Amino acid sequence: MTQENLFHSSGKPAWCPGCGDFGILSSIEDALVNSGKKPHEVLIVSGIGQAAKLPHYINTNGFAGLHGRALPAAFGAKAANHHLQVLVTSGDGDIYGEGGNHFIHAIRRNIDITLIVHNNQIYGLTKRQASPTSDLGMVTKTQPNGVSTIPFNPLAIAITLDAVFVARSFSQEKAFTTQLIEEGIRTPGFSLIDILQPCVSFNTINTYKWYSERVYKLDSSHDPADKLQAYEKSSEWGDKIPIGILYKSARKTFLDDQFKPKDLPLFKRKTRMKEIISLINELY
Amino acid sequence: MSFDLTIMIAGEAGQGLNTLSSILLKMLAQSGYHLFASQDYMSRIRGGHNFTKIRVSNKPLYSSVSASHLLVALNQESVDLHLNHLSSPSIIVHDLDTVQVNKTGEICDIAAPIRKIAVDSGNALYGNSVVLGILTALLKLELTGLTDILKASFVKKAAKDRKGNIKAATEGFRYLSDNFQNLNIPLGRVKEKNRMLISGTESIALGMMAGGLRFISAYPMSPSTGIFTYITSKAGRLGIVSEQAEDEIAACNMAMGASAAGARSAVTTSGGGLSLMCEGISLSGMAEIPLVIINMQRPGPATGFPTRTAQEDLDLVLHIGHGEFPRFIFAPGTAEEAFYTSIKAMNLAEKYQVPVFILGDQHLADSYVTLDRLNANKVKYKSYLAENGALKKPYLRYKITRSGVSPLAHYGQDKIHFIVDSHIHTEDGHISEEMNVAKKMVEKRFRKLNGMKKEFSGPQYYGPKNAKTLFVSWGSTYGAVRETIDCLLAEKKSVAMVHYNKIWPFPVEESIEILKSRKDICVVENNYQGQFERLLQRETNIKTGKPVLRYDGRPFDVQFIIDMFEKRQK
Ligand SMILES: Cc1ncc(C[n+]2csc(CCOP(=O)(O)OP(=O)(O)O)c2C)c(N)n1
Ligand code: SF4
Repeated sequence: MTQENLFHSSGKPAWCPGCGDFGILSSIEDALVNSGKKPHEVLIVSGIGQAAKLPHYINTNGFAGLHGRALPAAFGAKAANHHLQVLVTSGDGDIYGEGGNHFIHAIRRNIDITLIVHNNQIYGLTKRQASPTSDLGMVTKTQPNGVSTIPFNPLAIAITLDAVFVARSFSQEKAFTTQLIEEGIRTPGFSLIDILQPCVSFNTINTYKWYSERVYKLDSSHDPADKLQAYEKSSEWGDKIPIGILYKSARKTFLDDQFKPKDLPLFKRKTRMKEIISLINELY
Repeated sequence: MSFDLTIMIAGEAGQGLNTLSSILLKMLAQSGYHLFASQDYMSRIRGGHNFTKIRVSNKPLYSSVSASHLLVALNQESVDLHLNHLSSPSIIVHDLDTVQVNKTGEICDIAAPIRKIAVDSGNALYGNSVVLGILTALLKLELTGLTDILKASFVKKAAKDRKGNIKAATEGFRYLSDNFQNLNIPLGRVKEKNRMLISGTESIALGMMAGGLRFISAYPMSPSTGIFTYITSKAGRLGIVSEQAEDEIAACNMAMGASAAGARSAVTTSGGGLSLMCEGISLSGMAEIPLVIINMQRPGPATGFPTRTAQEDLDLVLHIGHGEFPRFIFAPGTAEEAFYTSIKAMNLAEKYQVPVFILGDQHLADSYVTLDRLNANKVKYKSYLAENGALKKPYLRYKITRSGVSPLAHYGQDKIHFIVDSHIHTEDGHISEEMNVAKKMVEKRFRKLNGMKKEFSGPQYYGPKNAKTLFVSWGSTYGAVRETIDCLLAEKKSVAMVHYNKIWPFPVEESIEILKSRKDICVVENNYQGQFERLLQRETNIKTGKPVLRYDGRPFDVQFIIDMFEKRQK
């Protein structure tokens, strides 16, 4: 890569050495550089968690809000300024647990954002409790008899709701992840990229080795336009885990009817006092 | 000659009560009368008992009165429920066949063949037009005024229905003119023509829009829904983006995302929804994101009385959001005050980068009042966003300043980028665990109070200067208290009132100045605990007398306040 990386920040991430989050950060930086965007044109929104600290470690706009609430905030920011390239980065607990309701409705709303979930199948920041994606049987202090709640399948849900772009990656596959993020950014509408991310401190089951032995890249035999096939791939878990684009389904985005790409963003619109005065006059 | 007449229109949901009363209101407003109309309705779509009270006068009105002079009873229940609350003499208008009145006292019983006239005009559903015709004749209004409104409101309906309704109205008018020629109704003429008719809902919505609202997100909840739907219906015209969120948590966080990106944003809700916004409001406090929260109160706790009124959320709004941060709270008393306050709220949220609350209630939201005019330029929209040229580089989103207010940039500004954060953060928005950073940031945020205290003047005073007894109102109790003062002054009592619209930061010095030498202070509010009274005592250290409280979901009226006040004197 020859382009200057304006997104690289000198700040030192407070992540554990070896954490999968480092790989994701570097893939996001590369994808943004490749997209040709400048730092002031991008906004990264997050919730709370280890993953959600990412906006602090990259040189661009950030909104590090509340646990589980990244998607609504991202929606608001995109509506206020549709020229912004909006990404959301957060953990599986944040997006699928605390923010599960917003996850569903953000997909339905189809706002043009790219959601990157650092899926480490555990709560990192609060030191090892099961997350919605923890595998059955995982023992933690809060699940002493092992997880008995069926894992949440974000990909299957996203496909059901006809998300525009549904992909999975593995943080160690940096170049591959970069490509997926780039494509997510390019795709108008809601893109989900669920990235398997080893938590070296607390998840002793789903390790680098565990993922490496299982992930395989989807090849051209997989047709992302085929919803049934996408479903099948989304439920493949265990011995073999597919990574790549599972599903694509283009549709109108939330703001398409309200803004053309070149239009003034919402926040720059003038207050239409004449209209307000005529509304007042209609009260007579 | 002054006059003051109350018309009650009562029936069940689904009988077209709303259309009937809004057409009558429109006719009266166009004829130049001063009006005050309040609604009492149940939380159901069909059945139940609902009524609208319309008070008509030649002087400005601020509240409802308990007794009605004219009852329009659309069903039997309306007679049964209200017969004993009519003034003497009074008039009842009802259908001859379906509603019976057992006359007691001085009642003029207008048992009109409403249904029959409607059927003869083409359809039993035209009954309310017959009623409108009858009322037009009874109130000595112009028939053409009515037929013009009917024409306009049926413009999208089939020609048959338009004509049928007009015929029904004309026949109703004729029926009354022919049969009750000598009936005298205490309604004089007024000189002015054409007054504006506005509800609290409309005035808050218009104020928010005049204050530069760009983005609104909400989840429906009575009695706030009307504001959200009104703004949404005008959103295209005004270039506003409006979105119904999946819940109030989302609504609040959406508004904050939009606000951080530079768009003036607000949410509308009621108590239950506000409870869900608690954490979001705290984020607005920490990340210093401008946010206007319109909370229209109804009785609680929990689901409470969905369609009734209360002032029970003051304590909640004073404290909502964990941690400490400055905020503004306003509680406008009238539709007029609500309009100007809403504009101001939008400006102040951005000027100080704090959450601003408007505490309204069902009574304010659903009451209609006539006004001479609203001056959309009296409180001007002003932007506090810093444009590129005004920003020093490197830009610090949370720059420590003497005023506590940091220059406000927005995302997307050329060559500038920044982060807002919910943690304790440094001037550049990054997470910090340093005790000194925490201390400095807390102090910076609270320094804003110095400026905030000067915004918006203190309480309003009404009545003779040295009155012994001082009534205190806040929010929508203003109207009933003000009329109580007029009433007691006419009886030569030594009374006056103070009204609080600006509630927080509390106007401490101004309050002490007014309250200190009073013999008796009587707070009037729609809750059980006397929430405002306690606030007043806490902030001023001045002892108040027994408050007048109401917590049955109904608004105050003069009679209620005077009865309670007299009991209290004994
Ligand atoms: C409302 C609220 N509840 C709980 C927390 C505590 N909390 C912070 S992060 C977190 C879980 C994070 O897990 P995940 O999203 O998977 O992120 P990770 O740390 O694993 O990257 C929790 C429960 C909080 N900050 N806010
Ligand atoms: S706790 Fe786990 S997820 Fe968090 S930084 Fe450490 S390794 Fe990464």
